[in-house]
Amino acid sequence: MSTWLGRAWARGILTTRYPAAPAADDEAPETGRPPMPTRPLDELAEAPGSCPTGAIGPAAVDQGKCIRCARCRAAGFALTGPVEASGRRRSELVWPGGRPGATVPEAGLAPLGRSVHVFLVDVGSCNACNLEVLALANPYYDATRLGIFFTNSPRHADVLLVVGVPTEEMVEPVWRAYEAMPAPKAVVAVGACPTSGGVFAGNAGLRPGLDAVLPVDRYVPGCPPPPVAILDAILALIGRGRPRAGEA
Amino acid sequence: MTAPSSGRTVRGAARPGARVPAYWAPDGAVALWNDLAAGRSAVESPPASPFPEDVRSAWAVPRFDPRERAVAPRQPVEGYGVFTFPYGPVSMGVPEAGRFDVRTYGERVLELVPRVGYKSRRILASLVGLTPADAGLRVERLAGNFAAAHVSAFLAAAESAAGRAVPSRDAWVRAVAQEVQRIYNHVHVLARLAEAASQNVGLAQAHALAEEMLRVAGATFGHRWMFGALLPGGPVARLGPSDRDRLARTLDRLSEEFESLWEVFQGSRTFVDRIQTTGPVGRDEAEHWGAVGPTLRATGAAWDDRLRVPVVPYDDLFLPVAVESAGDALARLLVRVQEVRSSFLLLEQMLQRWPRAEEAPVDPAPPVGPHRGIGRVESPSGDLVYDVALRDGRVAAVGLRTASDANWPVFAVGMRSQVFTDFHFAWESFGLLFAETDR
Repeated sequence: MSTWLGRAWARGILTTRYPAAPAADDEAPETGRPPMPTRPLDELAEAPGSCPTGAIGPAAVDQGKCIRCARCRAAGFALTGPVEASGRRRSELVWPGGRPGATVPEAGLAPLGRSVHVFLVDVGSCNACNLEVLALANPYYDATRLGIFFTNSPRHADVLLVVGVPTEEMVEPVWRAYEAMPAPKAVVAVGACPTSGGVFAGNAGLRPGLDAVLPVDRYVPGCPPPPVAILDAILALIGRGRPRAGEA
Repeated sequence: MTAPSSGRTVRGAARPGARVPAYWAPDGAVALWNDLAAGRSAVESPPASPFPEDVRSAWAVPRFDPRERAVAPRQPVEGYGVFTFPYGPVSMGVPEAGRFDVRTYGERVLELVPRVGYKSRRILASLVGLTPADAGLRVERLAGNFAAAHVSAFLAAAESAAGRAVPSRDAWVRAVAQEVQRIYNHVHVLARLAEAASQNVGLAQAHALAEEMLRVAGATFGHRWMFGALLPGGPVARLGPSDRDRLARTLDRLSEEFESLWEVFQGSRTFVDRIQTTGPVGRDEAEHWGAVGPTLRATGAAWDDRLRVPVVPYDDLFLPVAVESAGDALARLLVRVQEVRSSFLLLEQMLQRWPRAEEAPVDPAPPVGPHRGIGRVESPSGDLVYDVALRDGRVAAVGLRTASDANWPVFAVGMRSQVFTDFHFAWESFGLLFAETDR
């Protein structure tokens, strides 16, 4: 006869050690990581043609456009990049030569230093990003141990997590949710859709990205980003993220 | 089910007089099934009109405008103190962009009107002109947590249009992906119901099991939501002999884990009491409004596409159909629980009887000229139909009827005369996705 307590006791602690330890393979499977060229980018002539969203250019890879479809593997890429790939500016997601550029260590947005309340807004997603954000509440990630709490109203929120490609119909609702938040406030674009339009970029009636609607403080690449990447983006926003590639 | 009839007017249809596929209506589904059973495929009877413009106007799925039209029976409710309470499109309770207009005088829901269209991404129109493999990247991002079902149905339709049999190994890989995703979605519904009932320990444990299913998908298909894994050129499914052994052992452990979890949920009187008699839908209502999936099976109808559309490998496997009769949220949950069991059983059978011949996935590139095919699978929330027209190897038009399309009016019927605190229990138990309707 099992009971809640008996079951919990038998399972032990499930929670990840992230961010104290790096992300494990089961937390970030192959497509949870950005694609990196296995040889210098200018030697991989077929790579740009293999990319359905045009993320791979002749001189740089735009991780914000990458939908992690893995087609570039045939052209000499491997999905082995760092999970901590989010950037404060859109330009930080464009990696010259396919490697993350040097970044300076960031201070957190001033008064949001310790604990934040986050609110999720869907502006046109496929539901996968929504569920990856909600997965932060499950015992494997347990965002509350890091002082990250979900809230039910934008009026109580410090951070707005926006998922999906902004549709014309959602521009006003998401703007009103942003307006309702007390300052200081921050906006995180979660996934390829709010960052660049993702696979739907160019469809009729869609905004090209969330920065055409709201001021964005952090962009998280991935389609969808794994929960550890979303966790890292929120922590980086408040200056508590793992050290990033290229940081001294 | 009622007798087949053709030319029936469809609820929520976009334009008056617009022609819609016969299988849009529930009895049309019977007609389609009869066609399939008699060996008449859609390829043999293409529409009279030439491609692609006519097909796009006549066969396109009706567009919903959130400001003008409701996906629900129109029955204006008036009375002393009755007002409309709008819920959404931004709310944490329903973490998707969609709105409900609730007609109420304060507590009791007199009428509930789901308003869809807020996140319409105009996907179907954007598929025209792409190869099936490229279109597949968009189709799987139409509804992320049903991606395996959507892309399987789409590729089946494209392959049927191309006049090509589904490659055997692909069919098995797709079936494994669908069953893994079905278990994830059903456990996720259990977790959401536990959350609505403030069963926080149960929520954590069900949520953990759902996460483990995502990790199984990630380890097996290289992607937690299986994006790209069923398409040519994507991450290759790791289903070699040793991978299958490891997967079978993991699933065995998770199956026991689920049984133990459900045993405790079943023993929780507060949980069971809360969802019993919530959101009731009668058999006649379910059939009248064309319910599909667990919603239909919870009213006593044994209708499951995995049995009704016998394709490889389901035609050769043992599949008990889950049926309940009460039609409430508890019955829908019980159907889902039995389906989790049957999915574990199906996966066990598939991994044991894996076909020996290993073929690489192929791009379904069809012969020259217009062709058309239908793909039909049982998604976690029910019957999913894709109607794909190809012209010279590229998508000319796509028609689509998802489980959510069919179940919106049924949800509205189930919410009538409930109180507003019942909303989340009813909502989660139907397993509806705005993403599936706002495409």
